[in-house]
Amino acid sequence: MVNLILVSHSEKLADGLKELLAEMAANVEIHNAGGLDGGKIGTDVSRIEKAFSSITDDAIILTDIGSATMNAEMALELYTGDRDIQFKDVPLVEGAFLAAVQSGQGLSVEQIVKALEAEFAK
Amino acid sequence: MKLTTQGLKTALLNTADQIEKQKDKLTDLDREIGDGDHGINMSRGFTAVKKELEDKDSFADLGELSKLVGMTLIKTVGGASGPLFGTVFVKFATKWNGKSSVEGDELYEGFKEAADGVAARGKSKAGQKTMLDVWEPFTNALKSDEPLETVIEKALADTKELKAEKGRASYFGDASKGLQDPGALSSSILLRQITEVLNG
Repeated sequence: MVNLILVSHSEKLADGLKELLAEMAANVEIHNAGGLDGGKIGTDVSRIEKAFSSITDDAIILTDIGSATMNAEMALELYTGDRDIQFKDVPLVEGAFLAAVQSGQGLSVEQIVKALEAEFAK
Repeated sequence: MKLTTQGLKTALLNTADQIEKQKDKLTDLDREIGDGDHGINMSRGFTAVKKELEDKDSFADLGELSKLVGMTLIKTVGGASGPLFGTVFVKFATKWNGKSSVEGDELYEGFKEAADGVAARGKSKAGQKTMLDVWEPFTNALKSDEPLETVIEKALADTKELKAEKGRASYFGDASKGLQDPGALSSSILLRQITEVLNG
């Protein structure tokens, strides 16, 4: 089942989102790569890399703003593992809902990316 | 005008000192149109860079030095400046790999690659009140006879009047006009130090 990696500036925000998603897709593995040490606000490429090393399947990254997005892209460029990890720059909450539900239904990374693109095409 | 491995190292050590001196100013500017951490972030990053440079006596070439600096900044700066300033040096490394001195076209191409890399990473272009508004004129000036110090000063002053269209500052809209972009200021600090070693 496709894992989700949430990169928010606020660890609490990502934790809250995780709770919301658990209602919709209880079995989907969700990794919180948000915030900085000590509960500080920010994003850190090494937290995203840490999430990469704990995923159990392919994964989708969702981010909030600015540096979350840049750090996600940076982490992906540095990634040398075998998993198919994809990043889509879509609204964090709505995107995560769609991705979680679809992952729960057993869809692949590729299918979820297509669904996100279709839903959030500008 | 020539950039050597030792020259870039000197410029980076001087930049670290300057960033430290202007840390509060950078943070204050960021407080006005951002999240108020730019000085702290840049200081943390360049303190780490300084330590790396002091720990390692010599570098084989500009590529090795740039790569280490880029990766250090990515890992330590945080915020959007980590990936952005990190990209500058990672891009230098791709162009200057195996070279211990660059001038003329080779010098220009490194800066061009870096400025393009920042634009791609931030999905931005010049004119949006970002660090690019300093990096782009500086890079273009390497192809001209204009004194680089003058180009940096002018770019920094011009950036002030722009309306922010990228990053958190963009949420301030017209209110961002007249305020200095912190990333443009920290870029000017670095580029001034590089200019000093280029002028020899």
